[in-house]
Amino acid sequence: MTEPITGDSHQRFSELLDDCVHCGFCLPTCPTHVLWGQEMDSPRGRIHLMEQMHSEDVLSEAAVSHFDNCLGCLACVSACPSGVAYDALIDHTRHRVEEQYERPLGERALRGALFSVFPHRDRLRLMRGPLRAYQATRAGRLLRRSGVLDRISPTLATMERIAPPLSSPPPPLPEFVPAVGRRRARVGMLVGCVQGAFFPEVNTATARVLALEGCDVVIPRSQGCCGALSGHSGRLEESAGFTRALVEVFERADVERIVVNSAGCGSSMKHMDRTLEEAGAAPEWVRRARAASEKVVDLTEFLAELGPQAERHPVPVHVAYQDACHLSHGQGVTSAPRELLARIPQMRVSDLPNKEICCGSAGVYNVLNPEPATELGDRKGQDAASTGAELLVSGNPGCSMQIGSALERAGTPMPVTHTARVLDVSLRGLDPGVLLGRS
Amino acid sequence: MAGSSRAPTPAVRAATPGDAVGDLVPAQVAEPSDTEELSLVLAEAAREGSTVAVRGGGTAQDWGPAPRALDLLVDTGKLSWIDHDPGDLVVEAGAGTPVAELYTHLAGKGQRLSYDPVRAGGTIGGAVATGASGPRRLLHGALRDLVIGMTVVRPDGVQARSGGRVVKNVAGYDLAKLHTGGYGTLGAIASVAFRLQPEPPALRLVEAEYGSRAEAERALAAVRESTVVPSAVEVSAGPDSALCLQVVVEGTHDGLRPRTEQAAQALGAHARVLGELPSQWGHRPSEGPLAWLSLPPAESVEAAARLGRRVRVGGCAPRGALHLSWPQGTPLEEIASVLEEARARPEWSVQLVRAHPEPVPAVDRWGRIPGLPLMRAVKDAFDPDHRFAPGRGTGGI
Amino acid sequence: MSLAENETATAPAALVPELRAICGEDGVLTDHSQRRTYENDGLAHHREVPGVVVLPTSAEQVAAVVRLCHERGVPFVPRGAGTGLSAGALPHAEGVLLVTSRMRRILEIDVANECAVVEPGVANLDITRAAAPHGYYYAPDPSSQQVCSVGGNVAENSGGAHCLKYGFTVNHVRGLDVVTPSGELVRLGGKAADAPGYDLIGAFVGSEGTLGVATRVVVNLTRTPEKTVTLLSAFESMDAGGGAVSSIIGEGVLPSAIEMMDALAIEAAEAAVACDYPAGAAAVLIVELDGPAAEVDAQVEQVEALCAAAGSFETRTASGAEERALVWKGRKSAFAAVGRISPAYIVQDGVVPRTALSEVLRRITELSADSGIRVANVFHAGDGNLHPLVLFDDTEPGAWDRAEEVSAKILDLCVEHGGSITGEHGVGVDKACKMPRMYGPDDLETFDLFRRSLDPEGTANPDKLLPTPRLCGEQPGVRRDVHPLVASGQATQF
Repeated sequence: MTEPITGDSHQRFSELLDDCVHCGFCLPTCPTHVLWGQEMDSPRGRIHLMEQMHSEDVLSEAAVSHFDNCLGCLACVSACPSGVAYDALIDHTRHRVEEQYERPLGERALRGALFSVFPHRDRLRLMRGPLRAYQATRAGRLLRRSGVLDRISPTLATMERIAPPLSSPPPPLPEFVPAVGRRRARVGMLVGCVQGAFFPEVNTATARVLALEGCDVVIPRSQGCCGALSGHSGRLEESAGFTRALVEVFERADVERIVVNSAGCGSSMKHMDRTLEEAGAAPEWVRRARAASEKVVDLTEFLAELGPQAERHPVPVHVAYQDACHLSHGQGVTSAPRELLARIPQMRVSDLPNKEICCGSAGVYNVLNPEPATELGDRKGQDAASTGAELLVSGNPGCSMQIGSALERAGTPMPVTHTARVLDVSLRGLDPGVLLGRS
Repeated sequence: MAGSSRAPTPAVRAATPGDAVGDLVPAQVAEPSDTEELSLVLAEAAREGSTVAVRGGGTAQDWGPAPRALDLLVDTGKLSWIDHDPGDLVVEAGAGTPVAELYTHLAGKGQRLSYDPVRAGGTIGGAVATGASGPRRLLHGALRDLVIGMTVVRPDGVQARSGGRVVKNVAGYDLAKLHTGGYGTLGAIASVAFRLQPEPPALRLVEAEYGSRAEAERALAAVRESTVVPSAVEVSAGPDSALCLQVVVEGTHDGLRPRTEQAAQALGAHARVLGELPSQWGHRPSEGPLAWLSLPPAESVEAAARLGRRVRVGGCAPRGALHLSWPQGTPLEEIASVLEEARARPEWSVQLVRAHPEPVPAVDRWGRIPGLPLMRAVKDAFDPDHRFAPGRGTGGI
Repeated sequence: MSLAENETATAPAALVPELRAICGEDGVLTDHSQRRTYENDGLAHHREVPGVVVLPTSAEQVAAVVRLCHERGVPFVPRGAGTGLSAGALPHAEGVLLVTSRMRRILEIDVANECAVVEPGVANLDITRAAAPHGYYYAPDPSSQQVCSVGGNVAENSGGAHCLKYGFTVNHVRGLDVVTPSGELVRLGGKAADAPGYDLIGAFVGSEGTLGVATRVVVNLTRTPEKTVTLLSAFESMDAGGGAVSSIIGEGVLPSAIEMMDALAIEAAEAAVACDYPAGAAAVLIVELDGPAAEVDAQVEQVEALCAAAGSFETRTASGAEERALVWKGRKSAFAAVGRISPAYIVQDGVVPRTALSEVLRRITELSADSGIRVANVFHAGDGNLHPLVLFDDTEPGAWDRAEEVSAKILDLCVEHGGSITGEHGVGVDKACKMPRMYGPDDLETFDLFRRSLDPEGTANPDKLLPTPRLCGEQPGVRRDVHPLVASGQATQF
């Protein structure tokens, strides 16, 4: 075994582990514990494995598999009465696994291929369109050989099904969208990789809603990935690189807040300082990252805080709101989106049963661990269908794809959309049919 | 044992015909005046290999079969004392304390043991050993739920305490549960501690009779769905009486008004409201064959309606804890046939508690008793020579 | 690390192929790091790595595993969600840990019979969730209710804040399927109350897994009360608060819960969840009243008046679900919140007669002053169940020992005043050596007689509930006259 990552983070890790009193309150909210009912696939069990890793310097194959099984949904963080920072613990652990554990060749290839595509919006965008055409390209052949495409294919197929048809891609966003009416703030906006590539209309809607609510919106074209996907998979260096670039981009943008419409990105961007600290960055960088992180806010959180300015038009639709884990557990944002939706005239908002349980999407989890992801997706699909709603609303692109495909698999298809699009329809007084795929 | 060297063996007298249990006249009767003496008496009986039975008020000597043998009858009459902590809502009483005396004492402090006695007379020890609970078990639990501690003298003469005098206590096995309804087959109860309830300021009894089972079932369902929170819901029926539901509501004077109305509404247009309980409330008939019937509560009314054509049926409907009673002299075949009819239903179980004369072996007194081998194992551990009330317990233990 | 060390290498190793045949490949854990995650339950300072872990999915599997253990003389330890606070599910190094976490189906919600039929791994609160749409709930509510399993509740006879009015698990279990220590599956009771013969259900509930494993439980469902009101009353002293409790009970009011917190506990709760309890309170009382609306309204007025008469300087009344949750928030967070004002703490669980509360609390204050160790008090005042939190700094040498000493002395106080060494956490391993404080040698021998009648081989959860020489380092039962410090269970430390 090599030395611990850094002395400081080693000490901090130890202190964070000590916070856990093994009360078990995290068990019922952990998706893998819900699936398999065994201690090692619960947060409490994983923390136990981390303690073993930490105090005895043992990283068994079994332990790694249980760390890999974690979706990182952070439901346990919400459930924990002792304030255990499981998010920091699992990020640190994953990094250590990446550094110190030799994965089998096939698995390494899969991960390598995955991260050559996912955090890059342009490469992702290339994958839109008929898969066959994509597979014919050189990159496609390479990917197919690595086996990654077999895993990604179902995901991509889902994206294709539920994303709006390619024939009408929204026009690219300008770098600046001026406020409509009384100007109340100057905000930056994150475009996101998956959101940008597969749900560009969500970004368009976000920018429009922000402008209609009186914000000057700055959308730097040079922005890249936020680094969340890499960070959550233990690829700390890669993540830190993305983070530095993003901090610089938004420093230059000179904005009051950085608005994010993708829960996974927002959750990660709220602690960019921790990411850099873990990666051993210089204090000055950590400070800059902290300053940027303090500006990060979820779209719904920001709009609720700002208060309505534009008129809401009726949207007579029954929607089910699904908490994206990285919004509810990762950022504690649960009431803002519900309030925003409930304020839309004639809209009825329902909750899903078992709302605290992850849908199984979890970043790239559904690609790396397709079986549990599918099972969790099916459960979530059943819960969504049980609400009797016409439309499922969520704050994260991954969730939308995951649940949308589960609902379709179950033969109970339901349109899935983002909160921003619902607000956009209401603010502009559009026909609600556009949300339901009926226009 | 600290006392073994000091106290002399307490007086044991010769038995008289009045001491007979069933047809058995014991050789001797002991009347210990405290737990220590009880222990000495039983230790001596163990050395002698004597068979033993315990008598409280003698009101349930005909409950359960007579023991197979009886050398020594222990009369608990002198084990009569009450130690009441009103502030803790707890009372402890000697086994020989008359139930009526305890109730009078508690009533003086505005409290009660929320078990409705099922017999007139009798002692605390007898009530616990026979274990049956009256109507108000519905709200506050059966007798077994009210016992929080017990001191027992084992068949070998060793005193053993379980539980205590605090309501909340999970230290050690709850052995009092085994003795409650154990018919004295595992040892002699010396004293029992109970949890108490404050006596509510007011009470109403709402009752109604029904021409059909369906009507009564609808009424019972309406009570269940209401928020009346009754203390008791009794069903009764018999060859000479109609199907009847009785609902007891207790609480404050102001609170009772709307609750009584609700209860009356649930029972139907012909419901009557009474201000007090009838005398003999909850008492099982003091003579004639008697049986316990336990079944899924949803089937209580059905049982009353169906069996009520042949036998008097009564009991706590929402607990499915009923009793059957026949007039003295009912032919055994008739009783056996009713037992058979009840046992034909999968989750119904029925035991004949009292029968005169002793039923012939052809009558199955007990029916199927799940867990009987475990019960035998417990009996064998506490009373390896089967000297304590042999044959008197459920399943002939 | 060698494979021999890593894999199960002790007595149960020989059982592994057969266990796999019973529970399937993924139902048996032999890897050391996996087994280690089961080394403790909710009381983390007692640890033992189990020889092997099995995760059965059916009663038949449980019976087959237990039968195998019985045949081979291998001990087994049942475990539910692992939330217990007495190390009752502490594994046996040479034994099988039998985990019921995969048996978690709610088999039936039977409204007509007012009961639910569940597997042992079902979480307590899930019964209430399933029953709520029908207007019912499951009354016992231990504070870990969203996690703790019904099987665990049965083993520990769990209570909760509302057991003052509604009783404990034993008062709500109508039927049990039990796998006996010899591996026999027996059905006791069912949907009907009053099963014939000895009340084995009553004896089994609270037996801490020493008499077998429950594989199916029939529990009572209780009608959801028409109205529930929660009062929060603040006092300038604990004595005044205690006085209010006495007068509420004395006046014949039976609340569903009466909880009390002292100044230190309030400070911790404020730090953790900003519960906004009345400023300057040295004691707060939470009184919950439920039942028919007409009765509750009358009682609320009565309790308000009684609190005022006892010297309360502020009483708040909450009746909406959210408002009530706010009142409970401070109380419910108190245990975890103490972590904010102290690096480490011991949660004690003792019972005193309600009338002795004030006296015992005064003595605890003295004990705290004499030892210089802070004690926060959070407790179920209605039934005298104390949960003193003994605070210490675990980085300071000897601090644990001193805290443990104070904690043990508090237990002695409970016994001195006619109380109990445990009101709801159970005996387990943690208090097995303290049983002689409360029971005499004959009492203990009688418990053992009963235990052996159903488990003659002693394979069911050995070394729990009763003191043994192995655990307590000397003959059980002779410790009654030993110096209290020695008898107070130092032997449970390692």
